[in-house]
Amino acid sequence: MNRNDIAFARFHPTVLFFYFFCLILFTVFTQNPVLLLSALCGGILFCAVTNTAKKNLAAAKLYVPMFLLVSMTNPIFSHSGATPLFFMNDNPVTLEALLCGVDLAVQVCAVMLICGAFSRVMESDKLLALFGKLSPRLATVLSMALRFIPLLKRKWGEICEAQRALGYFREESFFDRIASYARVFSALVTWALESSVDTAASMSARGYELAGKKHFSLFRFTRGDGIMLALTTALSAVTLFGILLGKADFDFYPRISEINTDIFAIITYAAFGTLALLPFIFEVKEALKWKYLRSKI
Amino acid sequence: MNKKNIAKYIVLLVLVPLVVLLGAVAFDDKKYIFVSACVAVLSCVPFFMSFEGKKTSTKRLVLLAVMLSFSVAGRYIFAFLPHFKPVTAIVVIAGIYLGTESGFLCGALSALVSGFIFGLGPWTPFQMFAWGLIGLLSSLLSEFLKKNKIALCVFGAVSGVLYSLLLDIVSTMWYDGVFNPSRYLALFVTALPVTAVYAASNVIFLFLLATPMGKKLERIKIKYGL
Repeated sequence: MNRNDIAFARFHPTVLFFYFFCLILFTVFTQNPVLLLSALCGGILFCAVTNTAKKNLAAAKLYVPMFLLVSMTNPIFSHSGATPLFFMNDNPVTLEALLCGVDLAVQVCAVMLICGAFSRVMESDKLLALFGKLSPRLATVLSMALRFIPLLKRKWGEICEAQRALGYFREESFFDRIASYARVFSALVTWALESSVDTAASMSARGYELAGKKHFSLFRFTRGDGIMLALTTALSAVTLFGILLGKADFDFYPRISEINTDIFAIITYAAFGTLALLPFIFEVKEALKWKYLRSKI
Repeated sequence: MNKKNIAKYIVLLVLVPLVVLLGAVAFDDKKYIFVSACVAVLSCVPFFMSFEGKKTSTKRLVLLAVMLSFSVAGRYIFAFLPHFKPVTAIVVIAGIYLGTESGFLCGALSALVSGFIFGLGPWTPFQMFAWGLIGLLSSLLSEFLKKNKIALCVFGAVSGVLYSLLLDIVSTMWYDGVFNPSRYLALFVTALPVTAVYAASNVIFLFLLATPMGKKLERIKIKYGL
């Protein structure tokens, strides 16, 4: 699936940034298994609906071993907890440490998945539109660097081919390869530096150094963005309130505490769960709408 | 002291201790990773602010963008050799030949642009901080490193090892929530081959690239009056 096909990515950059900021913040700050599991579910479901099957398989190959590694190694390094399961090298392996490891693994995987979703939804143009308001010069440097990268890659290929045709390119041993590539790199540097000064001269000639410039941005804040922003704010406020009231407190040491199930705690879980699942819900909603509209033709 | 400078000192002297204090008091000293990520980002902010405030010439701006794209494109170019990357070498060269500010920015923004392309993650703020610091240090030692090639290679190796040590601290806090020395040791030992390749790549790239690239940068600076 193409990046542009992610329906959630069509929101305004500010809205998206705020959404992911809140979600990551809560996920990093809580230890509560209910909240962490809902964050993980949100991450997995969004990944599943927006990625191809092949990419999903590759992601699973990365995340499953990481999950096992983090959860299984925690009891080896942490010996707190009141319920020893067995002893290894005279150190107790406790039930609490094991479950805490699973909890941490859920957290680590959830944050990684949400960061992955953030990277896919916030393409560089959106990030630059955000940065551009804060710091136009830095945004200029970043967007120029992003533009130079494909240019350098293309030029690199051209120089490599020229060197091969001239017979200067040796690939027999590791050091030959390094030396050959270093020579190509050197030629590339000369070309890039010279052309960068050309670019700078051209920018000056077009008045880049004059005052009163504005940052160009294609993104417009629509009513849908407003609704999404309001929804995110409301859900985050409820979650924050619940966390600050201690409704989502959870401790593993010395003994595992019970999951809070009073009415306020359930409201907190529901609010955060909805927040975490928002991109997935939106994605499914848009897909269904598309199917429905197509069926009418 | 003008307004910009005051804002810079406010970030460094007020906001950073405030975040640390908040982490210690409000979060029971448990959320090390978040607090340290905030500190890492905040310590980059004064550099960004001074870059924004100054009337940096357009040529310098474009030159910085080119150095940045070199360090990031290097990751693609050398994709066939895992962990063998020229990023640190380019950052060190930028620091030596383009000055303190460009050195720091080249390091910090390399991490950011890499994040744009290869995916942003919890490690990005620390990469920004670590590479920024490497660029800054190399510019402070620039006179010495320009003349002495052995010192330059040693600097490359040391910065590679320090970078790995710092990011291992981050992984430890990330996997445990707190800093666990035995986990840190285990991570450090398992990461030793990667660290070795990384440090070696810094040395090789600096050995091969520093002088020719430095000459080119000096030439550009003289030719176009930077």
